[in-house]
Amino acid sequence: MSHSLLALVVALPLLAAFLPPLLPGAIRRLLGPLALLLVAALGVYLWRITLIEPVSLALGDFRPPLGVVFYVDSVAALFVLAVALVTLLLWPWRGDTSENLDRKQSLTLVLAAACGGLAVSGDLFNVYVFYELAAVAGYGLAAGGGTAAARVATFRYLILGSLGSLLALLGITLIYFRAGTLNLAHLADLAPQTLHDPFGLAAFFLILLGLGVKAELFLVNTWAPEIYATAEARVSALLAGLVSKLALLVLARLLVLVFPLPEARGALLILGMLGMLTGEFAAFRARDIKRMLAWSSIGQLGAAFIAFSIPGSLGLAAGLAIALHHLLVKPALFLLAERWGGGLARLAGAARRSPFGAALFALFALSLIGVPPLPGFWAKYLLLSGLAAQPDNLYLLAGLVVLVTTVVEAVYLFRVIGMLHGRDAAHSEKPQNMALDMTLPASTLAGSGAFAALLLAVALAAPWLTAPLARMALQMNDSAAYVARVLPATATSEATK
Amino acid sequence: MNALDILLALSALMPPAALLFGRWRGYAWLAGMVLTGQIILLAGCDLPLAAGMNLEIFGRSVGWRLDAFGRFFALITLGVALASTVYMGGEWGERHAAGGHSPRWLHGALAGNVLAMLLLLSSQDLIAFFIGWELTSWAGFLLMAQGGEKALRAALRYVPYAMSGAMAVLGGLALTLAWTGTLDLAALTGIMPTLDNTKLALLLALFGMGFSIKMGLLPFHLWQAPAYAEAAGAGTAFLGAISARMGLFALALLLVKLMTLTRVADLAFIEGLFTARDLLAWVAALTIVLPTFTALKQNDARYLLAWHGIGQGGYMLLGIVIGDATGSAGGLLHVFNYATYQAALVLAVFAVMHRTGTADLNSLGGLVTRMPLTFLVMLLGIIGLAGLPPMNGFVSKWLVYRSLMLDGRPLLFLMTVIGTLGTILSVYKLIHNTFLGQLRAEHEQIREAPWSMTLPMLALVILAFVTGAAPGLALSWVAEAQAALGLPVLAYTLGGIESPRGNLDMLWIVGVLFAGFGIGALLFYGAGGRSKRVHQLDNYAGGHFLSADVRYHYSDHFYAGLMHRIGPFYRSSFTRLESAVAAATDLAASLMQVWYRQTVPALTLLVAAVLGLSWMIWK
Repeated sequence: MSHSLLALVVALPLLAAFLPPLLPGAIRRLLGPLALLLVAALGVYLWRITLIEPVSLALGDFRPPLGVVFYVDSVAALFVLAVALVTLLLWPWRGDTSENLDRKQSLTLVLAAACGGLAVSGDLFNVYVFYELAAVAGYGLAAGGGTAAARVATFRYLILGSLGSLLALLGITLIYFRAGTLNLAHLADLAPQTLHDPFGLAAFFLILLGLGVKAELFLVNTWAPEIYATAEARVSALLAGLVSKLALLVLARLLVLVFPLPEARGALLILGMLGMLTGEFAAFRARDIKRMLAWSSIGQLGAAFIAFSIPGSLGLAAGLAIALHHLLVKPALFLLAERWGGGLARLAGAARRSPFGAALFALFALSLIGVPPLPGFWAKYLLLSGLAAQPDNLYLLAGLVVLVTTVVEAVYLFRVIGMLHGRDAAHSEKPQNMALDMTLPASTLAGSGAFAALLLAVALAAPWLTAPLARMALQMNDSAAYVARVLPATATSEATK
Repeated sequence: MNALDILLALSALMPPAALLFGRWRGYAWLAGMVLTGQIILLAGCDLPLAAGMNLEIFGRSVGWRLDAFGRFFALITLGVALASTVYMGGEWGERHAAGGHSPRWLHGALAGNVLAMLLLLSSQDLIAFFIGWELTSWAGFLLMAQGGEKALRAALRYVPYAMSGAMAVLGGLALTLAWTGTLDLAALTGIMPTLDNTKLALLLALFGMGFSIKMGLLPFHLWQAPAYAEAAGAGTAFLGAISARMGLFALALLLVKLMTLTRVADLAFIEGLFTARDLLAWVAALTIVLPTFTALKQNDARYLLAWHGIGQGGYMLLGIVIGDATGSAGGLLHVFNYATYQAALVLAVFAVMHRTGTADLNSLGGLVTRMPLTFLVMLLGIIGLAGLPPMNGFVSKWLVYRSLMLDGRPLLFLMTVIGTLGTILSVYKLIHNTFLGQLRAEHEQIREAPWSMTLPMLALVILAFVTGAAPGLALSWVAEAQAALGLPVLAYTLGGIESPRGNLDMLWIVGVLFAGFGIGALLFYGAGGRSKRVHQLDNYAGGHFLSADVRYHYSDHFYAGLMHRIGPFYRSSFTRLESAVAAATDLAASLMQVWYRQTVPALTLLVAAVLGLSWMIWK
């Protein structure tokens, strides 16, 4: 089958992660980016063919439900592309020592491989494996900042994350116990008989909590502010931008394929609302920019959870739009925050030293709060029109939460913008080098400028992107097609029944 | 490409052009010429016109189509922008740039405002409308923030208001889509009135709140005065004259065209006694009275005018809510009239600031001989603002008064009269403390403002005078706008209105007024025309000569007696309301942070898992 290319999504980054020690210096530094470029190209290719029809691959030709299954629809393909691209933009080119750099690059590649794996996995067992892989790489990267604060934060994150993984594993076990399979297509087929009861819901809830740790779901997101405040900006960007989205994607898939139940949606909706409220309000009082961004990202992911809780492809479209938008914006903001960390007051007058950086910050902030015609607006529009169309009043309440928290978000983001453009630090008694410190380095500006260019391109192309987005949401929502593609036999047997 | 395409394309070119060439001296002239061309183009084209650009997003078409109602506002926008641009292009702009401000960003922000407003005014559906609405807000923010530290702070205070408004509108948009299945404004005109009362009331509350915030209606008005007053001079003129009117445009569109006033009157708080329409009328009336008296209290000329700007909005809304031919014509005409004299007044105040360095009404005085043209502008401007003949402000206010009386609303009429009284007192303070009385020694060498500043000012007051003497010129646009909006159309003549219940002929009134002046002059000069000039630094009062070292010009604590009477009413309840909301937000924020500060999150996780499982299982 020509789709054996699919395996490369995971294999290439893993290869590049573990091969370098065997290679001479020059090639070794280029191997990672090269692998990611290839994966990105593969993602583009896959996206183009899967927009027409999803593809699946049974590794080693073990027929499902036995073997390892990869399933790529256009959503998964786009996430493969996003993983490769974002990792590439956040690639660690520099390290303190060569050894440190090796470690960082390897871990980043492992993370990319795990994220790619999460996007394409067709069974819960693999999801768990890749999730753990991503988690371990994440811990390593987060602690890699080297400061004591980073290590402490990572340790706390590790405990919470491990506990979460355990809960997720428990949930998966319960599902296996009841249904006898972990293949998602198989589960989708069996779920109405075996899992649509309190027992199945409990399993879903456990998985939700477990994977929710990475997706910054309310209840299990307390690690985020500490980690993002102490880790390197690139790592925060990867965790907040990328890993959270993949966890979210897996949960959304589970919701659509296996648990399309009002109770499951309700849990997502309520936790999403709480995440939005706590995140955005906490960010309102944040005293430094990194924590502010962390809380804002909790809020944004809350919005994505709310969106995915809306039944039908409209909700999926909204959720995808929010997730992809956040994927573009938050990493760029974390990059800008690298030099602008510390107390907010230190930012006074920084716009004069880095006017381009300040302009980028304003652009991302405007998109984040949803000012048209930037992409954030369309995401918010989809979310709100989806919520308003639901008969249940709880969805209307969620709409209100979205509106109110957006106001809060605008206020704190513009407070920063005001700070940046405010009176120069020259008026204070700070030594000159303190003020100079706020000038952003060219590499930061280039990285975040690239995200800005992507964002603007999406804004300009918005009218042409709505059809693919709708198509992606439809594909993702079509669980019958998923089952038919992965398990052709079952589908035909169903048909003959 | 039709006229609207050209209009929008030109406006879209100007912000980048301003950012590229704004530092170049000739830019203002170039921009002025473009704006003039746009005005001619817009005034001459046949409406309605649909723009060629039409997007299809999420299965909904997003398009732009200009009708006569939008054109009325668009013409005012372009006109005020023209005056501001010319004003910026000369000495004032150089001084502004020398003060460390960026002329490129100022020009760019102004051009951005024009573009945003044209997009808003010509929107065909609610998505295009919201795009224009948001762009207007943020372009406005940019323009407000151009005047330095204080301006930035005032602009930041605008952010929560603007955002709350925007989110209310967006919420309304989402509900409209869910309940009617369309966002097209033309389609909505038929559907929205058929919604049941609860839904209609909710939509009115959401949209109404959003639009009121931009307009600065009570109780959402606190942001406006500082944000407008502290902006850079020409920006203040533009913001003050037209920006807030976008809120009025949207409200009129909502109340008259989409919902219809009769349906709004169906939404009763007390059946048959007090409806949503009455509420709007009373909000408008209170918006006239309270901010006007706040203006009276101001000691900074810019703030004084900005507060009046809020108050004057009340007359406009009141006229539209009454909704008959006379009242709505008065309300709409007031938008135009107010723009002419308010822009002139603000520019005059900034001309005085340009020469003296201050707008503090306690440190000026006697400038009439030093800046006679600016004085003339301010004199004519305040006559307009106070709503007295022969200026155009009289005509529009008269129309509103008249419709209130005809509609049988004496209490509202009383409110407008109280508002006008406050305006007269307050504008007298403005001109007295700036131009009349004793000159300050430090101002002895002051010269008239340069032509680049006086020219736009004079052009504006001449316009205000001409459309005062011959209101028919402006009323033709108003009548078109009324027709486009679906209001009854006013029967007008060149001199005013013709109606079986009494005509208004301004040509006649102005003629009589000038004849009176002529007779007075004849008497004065016939009697010998004796007068004696005294140097302004020295003066003669109460039987003895005063010299320059004795300050006798009465400006500090102006209207002490009146303030003694009405002072207790200024209790700044609105400011307290604002701080209460801010404090509540802050408190909520602290509480939310507690969640993220827990020491043993793993325990929370376990508790949550157990609780969640129990919920899932026992449900």
